Amino acid sequence: MSMAELLSQYGDKYLLALLTTWKLTALAFLAAFVLGIIITVMRISPIKPLRFLGEFYVQIFRNIPGAALLILLVYALPYLKIVLPYFDCVLIATALIPAAFCSEYLMSGINMIDVGQIEAARALGFTFLQTVRLVIVPQALRSSVISLTSLLVATMLTTALASQVPLNPMDLTGIVAHINTHAVGGITAFIISAVLYLLTALIIGFAGNMIDKKVRIRR
Amino acid sequence: MSSAHLSVKDALYEAPGPKSRRAIRIATAISIVLIIALIYAIIRQFYITGQLSPKYWSFFTRWTTWRFLGAGLLGTFEAAMLSGVLALSAGFLIMLCRISTNKVLSMIGRAYIQFTRGVPTLLFIYFFFLAVPQFGLKLAAIWKIAIPVAISASGVVAEVLRNGVNAVPKGQREAALSLGMRERAVFYKVIFPQALRYVVPSLIAQLVIVVKDTTYAYIINFPDLMQNAKVLISNYDAMLSIYLVAAVIYILICYMLNKLAEHINNSTKVSVRG
Amino acid sequence: MSDTQSKQNTSSEAPVIELQHVDKYYGDLHVLKDINLSVKKGEVVVVIGPSGSGKSTLCRTINRLETIDSGCILIEGEKLPEEGAKLAELRSKVGMVFQSFNLFAHKTILDNVTMAPMNVLHKSKTEARSEAMELLSRVGVDSQASKLPSQLSGGQQQRVAIARALAMHPKAILFDEPTSALDPEMINEVLDVMTELASSGMTMVVVTHEMNFARRVADRVIFMDSGAIVEENTPEEFFTNPKNIRAQEFLKSIKTH
Repeated sequence: MSMAELLSQYGDKYLLALLTTWKLTALAFLAAFVLGIIITVMRISPIKPLRFLGEFYVQIFRNIPGAALLILLVYALPYLKIVLPYFDCVLIATALIPAAFCSEYLMSGINMIDVGQIEAARALGFTFLQTVRLVIVPQALRSSVISLTSLLVATMLTTALASQVPLNPMDLTGIVAHINTHAVGGITAFIISAVLYLLTALIIGFAGNMIDKKVRIRR
Repeated sequence: MSSAHLSVKDALYEAPGPKSRRAIRIATAISIVLIIALIYAIIRQFYITGQLSPKYWSFFTRWTTWRFLGAGLLGTFEAAMLSGVLALSAGFLIMLCRISTNKVLSMIGRAYIQFTRGVPTLLFIYFFFLAVPQFGLKLAAIWKIAIPVAISASGVVAEVLRNGVNAVPKGQREAALSLGMRERAVFYKVIFPQALRYVVPSLIAQLVIVVKDTTYAYIINFPDLMQNAKVLISNYDAMLSIYLVAAVIYILICYMLNKLAEHINNSTKVSVRG
Repeated sequence: MSDTQSKQNTSSEAPVIELQHVDKYYGDLHVLKDINLSVKKGEVVVVIGPSGSGKSTLCRTINRLETIDSGCILIEGEKLPEEGAKLAELRSKVGMVFQSFNLFAHKTILDNVTMAPMNVLHKSKTEARSEAMELLSRVGVDSQASKLPSQLSGGQQQRVAIARALAMHPKAILFDEPTSALDPEMINEVLDVMTELASSGMTMVVVTHEMNFARRVADRVIFMDSGAIVEENTPEEFFTNPKNIRAQEFLKSIKTH
């Protein structure tokens, strides 16, 4: 099929697919970010069981293959009488895994903070929470911009898992599989999706670099 | 992650006074109770849905079950190894392009890296599963999974290698040149071996991603761990227990690879990330 | 509130800083041995001693950046608590200047100075800012107010750190080797600010290797050796006629340099 034929027949579906991928990426990243912060707080808390739970979470979800997790959510969970819509399963899988990496990045952001600055805050009479709010969180976030940018791209790539379940509308990978099993889309169908993924990744990367340039802490 | 110096994680809190110590003790007790409650709730859910019944678990005591899962695991290893070798070779070539002084080659390298880092592995897999056969190219199942997974990883591998090359001190090259070595010999005999040593941990970390990506092998019916788990499920009608065990096996493999990378990283003290 | 409190406590001039029988261990290592020290209002006490003598640790215990194992530390007659809001409040009354400056890397120079007054003393932004600008010009870095710490030289950063401490209107300032991390040509600009501070009547505890500064500015010199105060003397006496044998050796070893 030529590009023109493909676009006239599937153009609106591609648009919907792009929006679906974007929507999944945005929602999953947001959830992963919030979850990642919670897990990081657990990992640096002075409460040992919470530290352990945080570490445990990270080890599980940075090591589980996305497909294995999605299959568990979609096919195995119903045996525990927990039935979730397909979209939610994809969203959960694409949020739980990046959350583990998010926590890893935030931890290394925290580890980059100069211990002396924490002492300086203490010596000025800041309470613990003030030290966290005014010194630790802003610095950890600033030094995590680049890794969080690549996490956003990684989250987008993970949303391709959506192609493994019947979803309506389909995502950018699902639509290619769909076209190629129903018609002979050839390479063109792939190229369109690849380009859309690539453009999204480039935009994210560009925005991340811009933000990083603004907020990066020079030492 | 830990340094000889006091880490932030330790410096975050002051030495606790009596009040904080009591608060920490109480919070610890509460969190233990909550964690136990969570574990209880999970086990209870398994129990009331009948998933703890022996029929879902007893076959794990059978030798044949593990032999079959083991065969699947072997398939996973085969695919991952083949894919890893392909990714390393492709990554090396791309890295050569990327660091080349030839502008066109360098641009090609850069574009390839961008492309593979911005497109999901699944799209590559579907390409080899659905599009490549349309050109009459018949590939064995293992290639259909190994090639796309390798392509997907090769861009990052190239970047990792390039960072390794850049991390080799400049003096090394100058010293080798001053000994009369040719540029090519300097690169292959002096620079690259050192670069490779720097990047071993990052390459292992990349292998973890390759192992994870091979789980998509079920799409093309290649008998890896996931695919064999599927077959077992249809034999024993035990979806939850088998998928859970398969997931745990994957987690353990990746965990051990990551630990290995961490160990090497800590013992060489020099690391370069992609 | 703090004023009335200090008036009550100054039954007849309670020392600003007082350490009574302070002991500290790192495992088996006895790093502070029965330290007794009292610093009066307006006094400048310089602590010197070989590295590893515990002088830095001593300085850091005064605002509990290091904990102590026994003994007692009093700030204006009030016992330094182990934790909580009261500890933070007492800390805010004692400024600290570190060897490595420790300016907040993500904040401008001006924000570094205004942060604590605004968040701890709850001053308004305008008030904190105008006061900060005064302090910055007092230490001679007002032209750098909108820059980030990394854009300043070490000497400038340390002067900002002093302004940051001053912004809290501290009862005393602790200096923990303030010039040890500086390039030689920047040491004097920091010492000049400290000298000016001392002559303005600030109570200061200074851990330093700058013997000329100690000689010129100190009211009292304390010499520490392996965790104990082994000599306490006027600077004049200490530098011309030290009583302790380790102090004599120490001064000799410095002169030969």
